[in-house]
Amino acid sequence: MESANELLTILPLIIIGAAGLFVMMLDAFTGSARLAYLATILFSAAALAVAVSDLFGPMGESFHGLITYGGTSSFGMVLVMTGTLFSVILSRDYLEKTGMHIAEVYSMILFAAFGMLLLVSSNNLVTLFLGIETMSISLYVLAGLVKNHKKSVEAALKYFLLGAFATGFLLYGIALLYGASGSTFLVDIAATEDKGMIYWAGVGLLLVGFFFKISAVPFHMWTPDVYQGAPTTITAFMATASKAAAFVAFILVLSRALPDARADWSDVIWLFALLTMVVGNILALVQDNVKRMLAYSSIAHAGYIMIGLAAGTDAAYSAVLFYLFAYTLMNIGAFGIVAYYEWHKGYDFTEVSNYSGLGFKQPIMGVLMSVFLFSMVGIPPFAGFIGKYRVFAAAVDEGLISLVIVGVLASAASVYYYLRVLVHLFMKESENGIVLSRPGTLYTASLLILAALTIFFGINPGVLTDLLGSFWTVQY
Amino acid sequence: MLTVIALIFIVALVSPWIHKLFGNKSGWVLALLPFGSFLYLASWLPHITAGNVVQQSTPWVSMALFQVDLAFYLDGLSLMFGLIITGIGTFIVLYGSGYLSGDAYLSRFYCAVLLFMGSMLGVVLADNLISIFVFWELTSFTSFILIGFSHEQENSRKAALKALLVTGIGGLALLAGLVLMGFASGHWEVSALLNEGDIIRNHPHYLAILILVLAGAFTKSAQFPFSFWLPGAMAAPTPVSAYLHSATMVKAGVYLLARMNPVLGSTETWLILVGGFGLLTLLVSAWLALSFTDMKQILAYSTVMALGTMIMLIGLGTEMAMKGLAVYILSHAMYKGALFMVAGAVDHEAGTRDVLKLGGLRPLMPISFAAAALAAISMAGIPPLYGFIAKEIVYEAALEAPLWPVLVITLAVIANIAIVAASAIVVIRPFLGKKVETPKKAHEAPLTMWIGPLILAVLGVLFGVLPFLVDRSLMIPVASSVFGAPMDFYLSLWHGFNLPLVLSLLTLTGGILVYLVWDRLRESAPMKVYQSGFAMGPINGYEGLLAGLLGLAGWQTRTIQNGLMSNYLITILVTMLVAVGYTFITRSGLVWNHSFENMLLQEWALSIAILTSLGIILAFRNSRLTMVIGAGVVGFSLALIYLMHGAADLAMTQVLVETLTVILVVLVLIHVPKLIEVRSTTSRIRDAVVAVGAGVLMTLLILAVTAVPFDAFISEYYAEASYPLAHGRNIVNVILVDFRALDTMGEVVVVAIAGLAVYALIKMKRFGSPDDPETEGAAPDGTASKQGKSS
Repeated sequence: MESANELLTILPLIIIGAAGLFVMMLDAFTGSARLAYLATILFSAAALAVAVSDLFGPMGESFHGLITYGGTSSFGMVLVMTGTLFSVILSRDYLEKTGMHIAEVYSMILFAAFGMLLLVSSNNLVTLFLGIETMSISLYVLAGLVKNHKKSVEAALKYFLLGAFATGFLLYGIALLYGASGSTFLVDIAATEDKGMIYWAGVGLLLVGFFFKISAVPFHMWTPDVYQGAPTTITAFMATASKAAAFVAFILVLSRALPDARADWSDVIWLFALLTMVVGNILALVQDNVKRMLAYSSIAHAGYIMIGLAAGTDAAYSAVLFYLFAYTLMNIGAFGIVAYYEWHKGYDFTEVSNYSGLGFKQPIMGVLMSVFLFSMVGIPPFAGFIGKYRVFAAAVDEGLISLVIVGVLASAASVYYYLRVLVHLFMKESENGIVLSRPGTLYTASLLILAALTIFFGINPGVLTDLLGSFWTVQY
Repeated sequence: MLTVIALIFIVALVSPWIHKLFGNKSGWVLALLPFGSFLYLASWLPHITAGNVVQQSTPWVSMALFQVDLAFYLDGLSLMFGLIITGIGTFIVLYGSGYLSGDAYLSRFYCAVLLFMGSMLGVVLADNLISIFVFWELTSFTSFILIGFSHEQENSRKAALKALLVTGIGGLALLAGLVLMGFASGHWEVSALLNEGDIIRNHPHYLAILILVLAGAFTKSAQFPFSFWLPGAMAAPTPVSAYLHSATMVKAGVYLLARMNPVLGSTETWLILVGGFGLLTLLVSAWLALSFTDMKQILAYSTVMALGTMIMLIGLGTEMAMKGLAVYILSHAMYKGALFMVAGAVDHEAGTRDVLKLGGLRPLMPISFAAAALAAISMAGIPPLYGFIAKEIVYEAALEAPLWPVLVITLAVIANIAIVAASAIVVIRPFLGKKVETPKKAHEAPLTMWIGPLILAVLGVLFGVLPFLVDRSLMIPVASSVFGAPMDFYLSLWHGFNLPLVLSLLTLTGGILVYLVWDRLRESAPMKVYQSGFAMGPINGYEGLLAGLLGLAGWQTRTIQNGLMSNYLITILVTMLVAVGYTFITRSGLVWNHSFENMLLQEWALSIAILTSLGIILAFRNSRLTMVIGAGVVGFSLALIYLMHGAADLAMTQVLVETLTVILVVLVLIHVPKLIEVRSTTSRIRDAVVAVGAGVLMTLLILAVTAVPFDAFISEYYAEASYPLAHGRNIVNVILVDFRALDTMGEVVVVAIAGLAVYALIKMKRFGSPDDPETEGAAPDGTASKQGKSS
């Protein structure tokens, strides 16, 4: 049956949608956060497994061309579900310890993930908009999860107001592009012949909308406030899954709807990539709050990724996808460890200086943090290096040499603030009497898996690069 | 070779357990690893001597643009470096076990030092440009760990960070250079690049490649003015200084430039840049060595001088210079390694390494003295030691310099005078003369700590007296691979009475004189100025840069990212205005083809009403209620416009929505504290400009859209289809309740839930912070749309 086959193409989406509803009902009838947590893990793992197997399946379109599946979209789903699954696993311990463990969290995470999955499989601007909004609204709620915490509420409100603004731009851009091309399908927009004023205004507004979602400078203002204010594991979720989803959607739009205009948007992205790398890195240098530092570091990473978008070749896109994967692994890991330190109620482990000597208290956590931070710096043999390297190489191949040089210098500066954390963890004496609790087995195990993957894909990236290259017909 | 490197890495990682297992004897056990590697590399010696090279390759990463293979390339140059790394490495592991015995972190030392050894071997053996970079950065990183070994001390940490920042940033520049080189030539293997020198040298990017590669090499090999990190790195334990910061890691830059000489060298730029920096470094640092009294600092600056000499020789690029380079690298590795280890032993046994507080140690530490004396004589370049041969050839090469030979030889002699004095200082002061009371009661160092220096020092004599031991077997292959063409020469101690010999005598006499007046010279005012200028100057520059960067970032945080929502919004709006406005103007030009001739009187009146209400909003902005009402008037005026154009139902919808909105907002506002105006006039004007700009842009956009011909396809479809398909005559009604019925239902649900939320709001007795209503409102709204879908 044709329609059943079509449903199979969006199986992860269906699983997560159903899971969201199921978990919400579970909450309504049992009120047990534990059950909700278990159900969420099961469903997310199932969706991840399906997405991974889809990677090797066919590529195509379904639902009258509204949905694209396989290839890049499936990889986007893998990114989203990896982010979701690990954030959920890490969330339980953290939320329980900080007294915020309520079942609604899981249904909101699942609804947000649903939006992201829709986003990465959209082949039409309306589908894309639906995805972005489903994701964003759920994220606004998640950011304000801690109702009695002023920072959290402030974060949610700022995120909501600025997000609504960005949505306005995005929608305006979509409307104008529709006006110019007479369609909201990505392929039809690519076929627009009369590229008049409306077309360009539409492209411009669409870019602004995306820049907001990937927090490119100067649309990044919300990021540090929100990342700092939201519960840490939720921040991990926002920083990885939602950003990866937005980037994948951005790639789909750029490569499918606007391939002819590449020369034009490439210049624009070039400029914003430059701003994003420079400002993100410089501001990260002076942050004392670890979460805020990681927020700026994620902005800086968005800048590196944008170098790949500015290059706009198949090789660059596949490099960006790899980068996103490495980014997801190392960021969830780093936030996971920050969350672990943060849940110790008697102490205030929010500033870098509070981390003094903690590396030796629970060596495994210290070592894991080193792995994630080194990967973020882009030091071999970690996945972060390969990602950065491939993006830079693809950009050099396109002649964006000055941009790459800025990127390299910016990453050189980033060594300072990442290492600062490590210096505090390992090279300073801790205050007396600090006792760290042991993290849960599952918590440690999932962080270990993330670190192992970071190293594995750093040493042996070929497995993934070949696969990603095949999506983009890159010749090896 | 891959196996050797992998084995070293694996043993490094398990070394803490090996240490636990063997306790005090762990040094001897672990030293077997570098020693075994040494033997393995030495086994290739006959092969290399015969003029062959070895290449081994294992595929690693296939990338979009090229392959990265774990490829290794062994020729004379890499073999000599490999032998130095593993040979001295053997002694260092032993030495470290004695020097740090009883230290709680000894196992960490083993681990880091072996990791370093593996990385360093990787740098000199790797064939692939990217692998070279990877190993290169790993050496910077392990050096960071080792310098910061005494992590309780603030200055250790600072020195570690300084070294990492300088060499790490240099490494990134190197990466850029290597990548450019790879793209320029299309080859990623050093072995292949060696034949592509002409392509690279004539490439338009040659200068960029050269500068980037040099930036990497000069920072790593501590060339002036980047040399400041190396003396700082002496904060590391002595085995680390002896190994990384004298014998091996700092020579990575020398290795790289020597390796790249056939590819990048023999141009005028190369001669001036490489030769010039080398010459500058050797001159500046040689005399800096004399301004310190700490044995390690003296040795550190003399190391910088040696590195400068090597770099200068590479820059000269003549056959004689290559010969000198080969001999000099080997002799320096031997005598400097020995001297550092002895300095550490003195520090370890006597409790200080300040030469002013030491004296007369010879009877107490006879073996260390013997080693130190032999090594220092070699360093001073006195026959019959190997160092003498090295210095003679360096002088010969300087005399044959392609550019300004007189200047080069003069500076070289001046620098070497200082080195002779420095050699005398580090041996004569602590070991000879009157016995001085030392902080610890000195006695001979343990076997593990004197065996290494002694063997190295004796080898210096052996190679000096019997130079044929190494010339054909090792020196010729080394010099040939740097030169890029086969060479043939032999070494001998006695070259006859020639100019270099005279210069050597001059150097020696000068050195002894300088030593005799050293105490006065050190305390003299010019020396102090010299020290603060050349030693402290670059450090201050580095610290100033770092502080400036942090200051800039702090300023940015305070002004841009200050948490004020209105600032965020303005930034976003302005960027959008500039970006879209720019596109708009450049794409279309400002063509104004709208006429207002057929506007009716009412339309004018309405426009004026809208503008007036906007004016009211602005004028009475201290009252929220006025602002809401003003916004309401705008909405109602819009409804009137709809009405005038005959869209009665649309107008009614607009009126209803507007009414509802105003009431809702007013309901919320009742609970919000009174508005207090905090902004200055300037920021008000700024806001007004941004607001007007945004308004103008949007108007322009609307005008642009209306200028496009209207596509009636959809309206015609609904007009035709509404009666036959949905049996309704009112098209709008039919669209709402038939064609898009599901959407309408969704909207109804959303409105209903929003209504419920508002009801809850009104009923709420107590309010927390003013922000609460918004978040409360968002939550049910978010879930509402899901429920709408599911039902």
